[in-house]
Amino acid sequence: MKRLRNISLILPLTLLLGGVLIDLNLLGGLFDNVPLRYLREGFITLALILSLPIIYNQRWASDRNILRGLRSLFFLILGTFLLLLISDLEPFAAESISTGHNALYGSMITYFILTAWALFSTLFVLVILGTIRNLIFIKQKKNTALHFLLLMLVLVFYAILSVIKIGDLTIRFSYRLSSESIGYLLLFIVINLMVLNSFRVSWLSFLNRKQKLTVFWGGLILVPIEWLLYVKYHTSNPAALFSPVLGRFVDLGFLFLSIYISMAFVALIARLPTATLFDRQLKQLASLHTLSRAISSEFDLTKLADTTVDLALQVTEADSSWLTLADGQGGAWHLVAARNLTESEQSAGVPPPVAAWAVAPLQPKLLNQISKSPVHVAMSIWKRDVQSVIAVPLRSGEEAVGCLYVGKKIEYGFEQDDLDMLRAFSDQVVIAIRNARLVEASLVKERLEEELRIAHTAQMKLLPKEMPQLPGVAIEAVCITANEVGGDYYDFFRIDAHRLGLVIGDVSGKGASAAFIMAELKGIMEALAPQHDSPKTLLLAANETLYGNVDRNIFVSLIYGIIDVRDRRFRFCRAGQCPILLAAHDTPEVQVLEPHGMGLGLDSGANFAGAVEEMTVPLRQGDTLLFYTDGAIEARNPRGEEFTEIRLVTLFQRHQQLPPPEIIGHLIAEIDTFVDTAKSHDDLTFLVLKAV
Amino acid sequence: MENFKVVRQDSVDLTTLKIIGFLDAHTAPALEEAIQKLIDDQKVNILVDFKDLSYISSAGLGVFMGFIEEVRSRNGDIKMCSMSPKIYRVFDLLGFPTIYQIFDKQDEAAAMFPRKEPASSDE
Repeated sequence: MKRLRNISLILPLTLLLGGVLIDLNLLGGLFDNVPLRYLREGFITLALILSLPIIYNQRWASDRNILRGLRSLFFLILGTFLLLLISDLEPFAAESISTGHNALYGSMITYFILTAWALFSTLFVLVILGTIRNLIFIKQKKNTALHFLLLMLVLVFYAILSVIKIGDLTIRFSYRLSSESIGYLLLFIVINLMVLNSFRVSWLSFLNRKQKLTVFWGGLILVPIEWLLYVKYHTSNPAALFSPVLGRFVDLGFLFLSIYISMAFVALIARLPTATLFDRQLKQLASLHTLSRAISSEFDLTKLADTTVDLALQVTEADSSWLTLADGQGGAWHLVAARNLTESEQSAGVPPPVAAWAVAPLQPKLLNQISKSPVHVAMSIWKRDVQSVIAVPLRSGEEAVGCLYVGKKIEYGFEQDDLDMLRAFSDQVVIAIRNARLVEASLVKERLEEELRIAHTAQMKLLPKEMPQLPGVAIEAVCITANEVGGDYYDFFRIDAHRLGLVIGDVSGKGASAAFIMAELKGIMEALAPQHDSPKTLLLAANETLYGNVDRNIFVSLIYGIIDVRDRRFRFCRAGQCPILLAAHDTPEVQVLEPHGMGLGLDSGANFAGAVEEMTVPLRQGDTLLFYTDGAIEARNPRGEEFTEIRLVTLFQRHQQLPPPEIIGHLIAEIDTFVDTAKSHDDLTFLVLKAV
Repeated sequence: MENFKVVRQDSVDLTTLKIIGFLDAHTAPALEEAIQKLIDDQKVNILVDFKDLSYISSAGLGVFMGFIEEVRSRNGDIKMCSMSPKIYRVFDLLGFPTIYQIFDKQDEAAAMFPRKEPASSDE
């Protein structure tokens, strides 16, 4: 790059030197002929074209330093004007013209002064054009670069064409063009392009009110001087006497300068009384207000993210915008909403280097030339067409919870105001996101609680409202549900005058799904109980129905038995449920009745039939049976110890003489004392059957 | 809330899942995820080590039921070992020993899985 820049300096100089060498020849009158003059003009034209990059390498005015650029412009023009006044070129010009030839034919001193002026004014015009270009390119729009390039090309082309016109003086082309009409047409285009480019005065909005006033006073002096300079230079035009191409180019350069300065000045005057800065801030405030209102009323996180990128895109007039949020752990960044990102860009997500750069010191960043930034590589792989970007971290306390980006396809697409506005906007977004998340969390909680409430109600409705009355037996049952509904269930089915079906069970899982299965189970049992005399055949049928209708990971453990008060016996099967404790009237020890069994819904049939065993126990007066679910023996105390079957057996033995409701009362009270402050996590059901 | 953890150990013939802590309706999804991952990885010879499990609820038991058919249809199996008496009792009450092979010691259980031929492990 450096070498290239050196060449771009050396080449024009060499070519100019060539031109001057030819001049010296001509002055000596050695080889005065037409081809040599063409050659000379060719050298100079080439030198001019090769010098054009000077315009594009100007660094005098940038968005950060507009005032410095304006100041250089001011002093350059003023200095040149004074120099032109002092050097009084008219005699020289008159001399050249009177001899009917260009500068070459004047005296030696005329030649040198005119040459010096030609070169100086060319350089002056190039530098000025460069400075104006910088001003034009501030906050550029899509066609800005194109319009300026077009102006430069037409300028040079028109300048080259002028050789034809000046042919009268020195050089005659062999073919005749209708030079006048083409010349006027071109001039018309040039001036139009000049005016078009002169509308680009966005840099004015970068100036605060005080700076605008300064520029106003400067402009008051500069504008007339610049026009005087143009007119004065135009009449003598030393560059034209040196070379027609250069002369036309410089002349038009002066004209463009005059037009641009005048139009900028007019634009400045137009903006002054409205106190632009204030006006802009007001506008900014208004849009910020709109933003806040729009997002603070949005509690849906997805919609909120969408609204955010939409509004960010609008207020900054960006080409694309996107929003990332940190996941809970603060590890990865998720792209949650985007505008004008392709699908592949969205699925790829913001590249980690860019995301890291964006949130690094938690400060908003404005990058107007991605090509010259450290994220250049990552960015060009991910989204090539973005040239300027603003990244605003969404900060909550000392950490970033997300990042809002806007991008433009051109360099220098954003200004400081855009950044400030997004910064203020981002604070609102953070609050809105936090609110949305809180609302979401509380909604989820509410929904869960509602579901549990419904499940609880359903479970309670499924349980019998009162105990069955059957001569010869006393029955009592209590189900205590945990905070989260378990699946405990008990029920009674009248089979005939002396027989009663009894079921106690536990559906696996919790919550609404358990309550749902329980309802299904109740239906199955109610349908089957009257049809089966044998608990085992009933359970085989129940298992078959259940196995076909519930998910594989759901099963039911239960005991189904038939109380027969005529024959005074109890026949039952244990399908995976906790065993029955029997306190017989004539035995001091409590017996554990645990026939073989298997849970319902675990097996399709064959294994189940083999595993389930029927058992019959006599019901003699004073015999007491205790049925319980696992919630009773798995109840935990604050130290994490379980209540256990052993404790239950001991306790039952102590209270078995009492009527059923009192037995249950004692058991529950003991367990309550045991659990103490610990939270119960399962349902707990007791059922006591006493033969009287 | 008590903790639950699944530790996976892959060997040539089988994969051991050590389940640690408190397995109930809240922690069951973690075990479900672990077993689903094994099936996705084509590891269907699964040995579940209960040595450090302190509690299992019906929802926890349901997890094994949810996968056993699929695992067996892929010629694999879920075997269990090292249950504390209390946990074994829960399984026993429900009749699980007729559905699953449950072993006292881990090496006994591991020996029950088919050995892979060295040649076939090259694939």
